[in-house]
Formats: sequence, C-alpha cells, structure tokens
Amino acid sequence: MGVMYFEVSGYLDNLAKHSLMQRQHLFSHFRGEQLEEALAASMTFDIRGIDAYGLFDAQGVYLGGALQQLPEGLPLDGKIHTLDDCADSDDPTLPADSCDAVATQTRDGRWLVLLRDNGSLFAVTRIILHALFWGVSLTILPGIAGWHLLRRRPMRRIRAIQDSAQAIVAGDLTHRLPLSNRRDELDMLAAIVNAMLDRIERLMHEVKGVCDNIAHDLRTPLTRLRAQLYRMQQQAGEGSQEAAQLDLVLAEADTLMARFRGLLRISELEDRQRRSGFIELDPVQLLEELHEFYLPLAEEGELLFVLNMPETLPPLNGDRALLFEALANLLSNSIKFTPAGGTVILRGVNDGGHTRIEVHDSGPGIPEAEREAVFQRFYRAEGGQPQSGFGLGLSIVAAIVSLHGFNLEVGSSELGGAKLVLNCRQSLIANS
Amino acid sequence: MTRILTIEDDAVTAREIVAELSSHGLQVDWVDNGREGLDRAVSGNYDLITLDRMLPELDGLAIVTTLRTMGVATPILMISALSDVDERVRGLRAGGDDYLTKPFATDEMAARVEVLLRRQNSVATQATTLQVADLELDLISHEARRAEQVLTLLPTEYKLLEFLMRNSGQILSRMMIFEEVWGYHFDPGTNLIDVHIGRLRKKIDAAGNVPLIRTVRGSGYVIAEPV
Repeated sequence: MGVMYFEVSGYLDNLAKHSLMQRQHLFSHFRGEQLEEALAASMTFDIRGIDAYGLFDAQGVYLGGALQQLPEGLPLDGKIHTLDDCADSDDPTLPADSCDAVATQTRDGRWLVLLRDNGSLFAVTRIILHALFWGVSLTILPGIAGWHLLRRRPMRRIRAIQDSAQAIVAGDLTHRLPLSNRRDELDMLAAIVNAMLDRIERLMHEVKGVCDNIAHDLRTPLTRLRAQLYRMQQQAGEGSQEAAQLDLVLAEADTLMARFRGLLRISELEDRQRRSGFIELDPVQLLEELHEFYLPLAEEGELLFVLNMPETLPPLNGDRALLFEALANLLSNSIKFTPAGGTVILRGVNDGGHTRIEVHDSGPGIPEAEREAVFQRFYRAEGGQPQSGFGLGLSIVAAIVSLHGFNLEVGSSELGGAKLVLNCRQSLIANS
Repeated sequence: MTRILTIEDDAVTAREIVAELSSHGLQVDWVDNGREGLDRAVSGNYDLITLDRMLPELDGLAIVTTLRTMGVATPILMISALSDVDERVRGLRAGGDDYLTKPFATDEMAARVEVLLRRQNSVATQATTLQVADLELDLISHEARRAEQVLTLLPTEYKLLEFLMRNSGQILSRMMIFEEVWGYHFDPGTNLIDVHIGRLRKKIDAAGNVPLIRTVRGSGYVIAEPV
C-alpha cells in the first residue's frame, strides 16, 4: 500500500507538471489580443479553478487574469516550480496545498504566469493514504489481539513445563516434562528433554552403583586394617616405642574410618527416596535437647550458648534423628570456630506459620564467595589452615536438608560471624 | 566358660574377632557360612552370637528371623555392611540385640559383646542400687552418693553414670555411650562425649576422691574400682 501511495503520488505529480507544460506551450504561440481571448476561454472550462493565470507586462504590472500579482518566490525563467504557499482555488472542498507555477515570457514580451493547484491531485493520494491507514489498523490491531489470545494456551503449557523443570532441578530426577497429544514443536522439545533425563537418571544410577560397590569393597579392607593394627598395639610392650608408634597409627586409622563412614552416610542420605519415616515433630523439644547437649562443649570453649525461642513453634514434618544430626553438625561447627569469649545462639522463630531455625555465632563467619561451596564434601577454605575445613559435616547437613525438602541459607549474623538459617517449609511434595 | 559363636565369611576379619574375644577370656567358635551357622546356633547353646549380615547363600536377616521363630533367645550382635539407619532398624526388629556397621573397630565389637552378655546376666537380678567403691547410685530415687555425700546430677548426667555403672569394669566406646544415653546413631565427633564425661567427672571424682572414671585411649571410658 505504501508503495502504491508513493508511485501514484509521483505519477500524479508528473501528470500535473506535464499538464502545466502543455498549457505553457499552447499559450506561447498566441500573440497580442489572441492571447487574452485564449486565456479567458480556457477559464470557462476550468470550473474547479485548478488552473489560474496572470498576465503582466514586461515590468511586472498587472494586465489581466485571476492572479493579480506575480507570485512571490517564483523565478521568471520559464521553468515549472513548485510553490508551497498558494492561492486558494475556488473549490473549498479541495485541501489547500502546494501548486506548480511557471512564469513564461510571451512572444511580445509580456509575462504570463500559469498556476496549477495541486489540491485535487493530492486528494487522490490522500484517499490512498487513508486506505493505507485503515488497512493497517484493520490488520494490525486484530493481529495483536489475536496474537495475545493465541499465546495463552502455549503459555500455559510452557508454565507447566517450567514447573516440572523446577522439580527436576530441585533434585527429583524421576520427574518428566508433560507431553500433550498435539505432537507440535513443544512436544517434540519436551520429548527430547525427557529422553535426556532418562539417560541422566540411568547414568546416575550406574555411578551410584559403582560408588556403592567401591564403598562395599573398601569396608572389609578397612576393618581388617584397623583390626590388625589394634592387635599389634595390644601385643606391643606397655610403654615401649612400638606401642607409642602404634598408638599414632591407630589414631590415623580411626580417623580414616570415621571419614569413610561419613562419606557412606552422605551417600545413603542422598539416595534416600522414601520419606515415609517422617513424623510430626515438636521443634521446641528438639531445640531444648540440642541446647542441653551442646552446653557443656560451649562452656568448655568459654562461649556463651543461648537458646532463643517462643513457648511454642509450629510442628515440623521430618525425621527426628536426622534433624538432630543436621543441627548438631551446625552447632558443632559454630562452637568449634568461635573463639573463646564469644557467643553462639540457637534460635527458633515462627515465620508465618512455619518454623525457622537459626544458628548464629560470633566467629569469623563464612565469606560470601564460599557460601555455596562449603557444602561440598571435604571443602577447604581458600588459603585456610588444614584444620579450618568443615570436613563432611556440612555435606551431611545439606543431604538431610534436601531430603526433607527444606531450605538452608548461609549468611552473616549480627553477632559478626556466620548465620545458618533452616527454613522448615517443605517445598517438595511430601511422600512422593 | 562363656561361649560365643561367630558367623563371618571373611577369614581375616573372623580371625581378628576370634583373637579379640579370646583375649577377653571368651571361648569362640567360628563358622564361615550361614547354613552351618544356623545349625550350630540352634544346637550349640551359645551365650552370644556375632552374625555377619551379608553372607553368601543365606542372608543374615533370615537367620535371625529363623532363630527367633524357633525360640532361640541367644543375644545376637549383628555386624553389617549395610549402614543405613533403616537397615539397622530392620535388623533390630528382626530380633537382633545390637547392630555394628562395617568398618568397625574390634575393641568396640568386644565392648558391645561384653555389654550384651552382662545385660543377659543381670536380667535375673533386679538390682535397685549400683555400687562402685564408695559411689552409690539409687535406681529408684535417681540419687547419687559419693562417700555419703549426695551429688546433684542433671538428667543426662544421671543416665550417663547409670550406663557406666551398670557396665562397671567394662570399657565403653564413645559411640556406645552416645547411643545409650542420647538415643541417636550418628557420629557427633569424639569431643562432645569427652566433654560430657568431663562434666560428670567433676562431680563424681571431685578433688579428694580417688578417680573412678578412667579414659582408655583410643577405645573409650570405664568406671571401675580403683586398682
């Protein structure tokens, strides 16, 4: 449509100029009074007043015609020019517009100015422009509306896919993306992703199987190793050098065994799909027990250990022993890393209907850059001393938290050290 | 002579079990497969059985279930490569009396055996007080006395002392103490139990008294008459 407008516009413009040129040539052949008669005659046919003329003598004095003076800005050179500001034609329905004009010298030295109002021509182009405008709005607006309506169904499907994906990312690898019957592009994509997930699940099972086999295979050698070292220690003379050396070796073997069992523990926890062992627990009792349990250790480290909670807290759904273990690990770390004279707070909060448990300490805290990484097995802080690692403790906590569908956050405490926040709101479907 | 039956398929481990238990003055018979083990357990009249859960041919859990169904009440210490808590529960529910996971320390195994044996023996006598030297524990009033002086104990401290005294003379590992007194089965780190024992010691073995609670390096704690 736009193209048509431009082409038509150009064509009509040429047509107008051509017409003017024709008139120019026509009238240039007349002389004297014949010219005036011819001009007057031509006017009778121009009802709409599109064409106008003005006759002037060689000095520009007005002699006759509708144009009573030489139009401003019109060069007297016999060429057609377009004037922006124009004398209005007689027909009021035509838009005021530009006009083409030419000032030509007659054979007897008089100046004849011929003027053509382009309004009528441009009326045509205006019609085209209107058509263009209407056409555009009648296609674009319904188009946009239609687009919005058509988006809704696919958006719903995409949202369903998003929900499934979130469940998968959260750790439930058994989930699959939903497929509809349409066999369209979304379904194709979902099918591909599902196939990938099948493969990943299989691979993870294989890896788990291999790890389990390794773990299994290591149990017996470790038992044997420890047992034989122990026997050697028992048989060594009391107070002898061998006895002292064997004490050290045995201690190392015990450490090795403890770490190994920790790794196995994490494996088992990560593996645990069933949550049927979950019961409703009273967090108040659990926190009191933890506080009592760790109080002596805190006092030994000259720390102030405070239990901070309301009289009742909303019940949790979980495994008591595992939650105790997780929180015990957190407290153990806080107590271990907080220097003497510091404070550790165990806090229970009712957060809008569900319980939130926090552990604060006034120790060195966990730098922001490491807050994700500390949950890896045997993670060691950058440039930290050998003793400064969290070992397996936090990995065990992470596995337990994940099993429960809870959320654990690491941050900074107002005490100056680390703050660990356990949000006991289940984010996955229980009893899957 | 107390007789123990050990059902264990790994020869090296079995040898160590036998050696350790023998050093405690127990007589040990070893079989390396489940079928023979079941036979012997039924007919042998043993005081205690140690049973490997993962045996070729016959599953340890099945053996326990069978023995209990047949009315054999011998205490059983299950030694298992399956350390998951659920498996522990299954083992105990099937009729096992205690559960030790591999890898294990032989001295811990021996300690658990001794505790089980003692429990078996003391079932007959319902004691109302426990005594070690001049330390007295009243099981009904939960009162502790040392040299006639009453000691104030927190509930956890009382449970701890009771466990030690019930097994006086027997070394108890930290894990055993943790399990018995607090009821949980994870490893809380050795330090924690040490600290609780330390607190108990401050009250029991206060200055002027002969220390009764002894630390056995690498193994655990024991309460005993002073040597």
